[in-house]
Amino acid sequence: MSRLGIEGVTKSFGRTVAVDGVSLDVGHGEFLVLLGPSGCGKSTLLRMIAGLTPLSAGRIRLDDTDITHTPPRDRDLAMVFQSYALYPHLSVARNIGFPLRARRRTRPEIRGRVAEVAEVLDLGELLERRPRELSGGQRQRVALGRALVRDPGAFLMDEPLSNLDAKLRSSTRAELTGLHRRLGSTFVYVTHDQVEAMTMATRIALLNAGRLEQVGTPAEVYDEPASVFVAGFLGSPPMNLMDARIVSRNGELRAVAQDIDVPLGIAGELPPRDVVLGVRPEHLAPAATPMLRAQVRMVENLGSDEVAHCTVGSAAVSLRGPRPLGMSTGDALGLGVAPHHIHLFDRAGGRRLTWSPDPASEPFAASPEPNSPYKPAHTLR
Amino acid sequence: MFVEVAAPPRPMDKAIKAARPSLPRAIRRAAPPYLYLAPALILLGIWVYRPLAQTAQLSFYSWNLLPTTPMEPVGLDNYRRMMDSPELGDALWRTLEVILGLLPFSIVIPVVVGLLTRRLGGRSRAVYQALVFSPMLVAPVAGAAVWGWLLDPRGGVVDRATGTSVNWLQESGYAQVAIIMITGWHVLGFAVLVVAAALSGINGDYADAAALDGASRGQITRWITLPLLSPTLVFLTLMTVLLSAQWTFPLIDSLTQGGPADSTTNVYYLLWDYGFRSYDAGMGAAAGMLLFVGFGLVAAALVWLSERLAFHDN
Repeated sequence: MSRLGIEGVTKSFGRTVAVDGVSLDVGHGEFLVLLGPSGCGKSTLLRMIAGLTPLSAGRIRLDDTDITHTPPRDRDLAMVFQSYALYPHLSVARNIGFPLRARRRTRPEIRGRVAEVAEVLDLGELLERRPRELSGGQRQRVALGRALVRDPGAFLMDEPLSNLDAKLRSSTRAELTGLHRRLGSTFVYVTHDQVEAMTMATRIALLNAGRLEQVGTPAEVYDEPASVFVAGFLGSPPMNLMDARIVSRNGELRAVAQDIDVPLGIAGELPPRDVVLGVRPEHLAPAATPMLRAQVRMVENLGSDEVAHCTVGSAAVSLRGPRPLGMSTGDALGLGVAPHHIHLFDRAGGRRLTWSPDPASEPFAASPEPNSPYKPAHTLR
Repeated sequence: MFVEVAAPPRPMDKAIKAARPSLPRAIRRAAPPYLYLAPALILLGIWVYRPLAQTAQLSFYSWNLLPTTPMEPVGLDNYRRMMDSPELGDALWRTLEVILGLLPFSIVIPVVVGLLTRRLGGRSRAVYQALVFSPMLVAPVAGAAVWGWLLDPRGGVVDRATGTSVNWLQESGYAQVAIIMITGWHVLGFAVLVVAAALSGINGDYADAAALDGASRGQITRWITLPLLSPTLVFLTLMTVLLSAQWTFPLIDSLTQGGPADSTTNVYYLLWDYGFRSYDAGMGAAAGMLLFVGFGLVAAALVWLSERLAFHDN
C-alpha cells in the first residue's frame, strides 16, 4: 500500500552528475519503468530509492514518511538485483526465507511462507538446491521469491530480465505483468529495453544523462515523444529524424529541405524556422505526390515485416511495412506521410513542438521539460 | 499430391575425411606445451622429489654426516628410537601450542581488522594496510635481533614499559609466548592482506540485498560475509598449521636455540637438532619423513574441507 514521492533527487559523484533533479510521483499499484540508455542514471536513482546510495540533494517519501535518511532495512522495500544476488551458501528455501529470518519470525512461520511463495513461483522442487545448481530463469524466480515473501510496500527491480535468453525473457515479462496485476502493489522497474518498458509499464519515465525527458503512459511516449531523444530512443527502427525548415507557401506551412517538401496540414503564415522533422518508419509509404525523395540502400527481412533503409537528402530514413514491400536496393522512391503522423522538434533544444491554433498565444510552443519550473517559449512568429 | 519437403542432405554413408598432418608436423605441433613445462618439471624433480626420495632412503641408515664414515643400514631402527624418545611427543605438543597461539594472529585479528577497515576510504585503507603489512618485509633474523634487545631483562623496552622484570627469552613458558608473539607480529600483515583481498572479492550486491531484506549490520556479517569468507579462513588455517613451525624457526634459532630446557623446541627445530647438532642424519631423515606424512594428511583434510566450503560465486 505505498505511494513513492521522489522530489528533486540529485546524485553527483565528484563532478559528474549522475541524477539531476528528478521529481516523480509513483502512485499506489503503479508499474513505473525507469527507461534509458546505459549510464543515464536509472540504476543510481533506483539505488537511491532503495537507500543503498545516499542522495546529494532532494527528498524521497514513502506514503507520507520522509525516508531520505532511513536505512534500507527499515524502508519496507524489496529489491530484485540484476545479478539476483542470491546468497551462494544458502539453499533456495533459506534464500527465500532470509527476509523473514532477519525479522526474527518463527521457524514454522518462515517454512509456511516459503512454501506458499515456492508454490506461486513453481519452485517447490528446487527448495533444497544451492543457487549455483539453478538455471538463469530459476535464479530469477528465486530472487523474485525473496522479494515476494514478506509483502513489501513496493518492489524495486534492477534489469531483472537482462541475464535471460530472449525466449525466457518474453515469457517472464508476461509473468511479471500477471504478478503485478495479482498483487496490486507498486513496482519500480529499471531497464534499458524498450520492449520491456512498452509491454509492462503503466507509466514510463525516460531518463537521459540524469534528467527526466518524459513521463507518460507507453502510448503517450510512443505517440507523442516530448523530445528528439525520446523519439530516437523508442521504436524499432526508431523514429526518422531529419533537419528541415518550416516555411509558409500559399498560406500553408511546409517542412522543407533537400529532397523534402512535406505539407504540415496547417494553414498559417510564419517566418521560416529550423526544426527537426520526425516520422515513424511505419508511417512512411510510397505516395503519388512524393513529399520525400528517397533512394533505397538496403532492405531487411524481419519475417512479418520488411524494413527499407533509404537516404533522403543527407539523412538516413527507414521505412517499415508488411512484407513484401516491393522495394529493392537502388530504387528511387517518392514517399508520403499523413499530416497527423508528423512530429516536429525544436532544432536547438530538441523539445517537441505542438501547434496551438489560437494566434494570440504562442502558435508553436516547445513542450515544457518535466520538472522545469519555467516554460521555454520557442515561438514561431 | 502432397510432396514432403526434404531435409537438407546429410552424408551418412561415405565417411568424410579431413586431410591429416604428417607425423613430424603433428609432433612439432604437440610439443611446445611440454617444452614450456620441462624446465619447471626438471627443477622440481632435482630440488624437491630427488631430495625427498633420498631422505626416505637415508631414514633407514645410520650416518653422522661425515663423508669419510660409511652409511650403515639399520632398517626401522631410527623410527623405533624416535617413537621411544620422549622428545618427539613434547615437541609435537609444543608445535600444537605454537599453531594454536598463532591462529589469533592469522585468523581472528585479520578478520576484525579487515571488517573494520572495509569502511575506510581508498587511500587511508591502503596506508593502514601498508603499515600492518610492513613487518612481513623485515628479515626474520633482523627482526629477531631487534626483539632480542627489546625483550632484554636488563633495561629492555618491553620490561620497562610493562614495569616487570621477566626474563622473556630465558624462562620456560615465557620464551614460548615470546616466540609466538614475535612470529604473530611477523605474519599478521600477510594474513590481513589475504583477508582484505578476499573481502573485496565478495560481491557488494549480497550485503546490499541483505540490507534491503532487513538484516542488521551484525546479521550481514554473521550470515553473509563470514560464510562467504570461510574458504579464505580455511586457507589461512592451512597455512598456519603447515607453516607455523617453519615461521618460528629463524626466531628460535637466533633467540633461544630451542631452550630454555627445550621449552621452545618444536618438531622442526627438533628435526634440525637431530640432523645438524647431534649429527644423526638418519634420525633427522626419519623425523622429516614422519612430519612429511603427518602434515600431508592434515593438509589433505584441510584442502578437502576448503573445497566443501567453497561457494562458486556466480
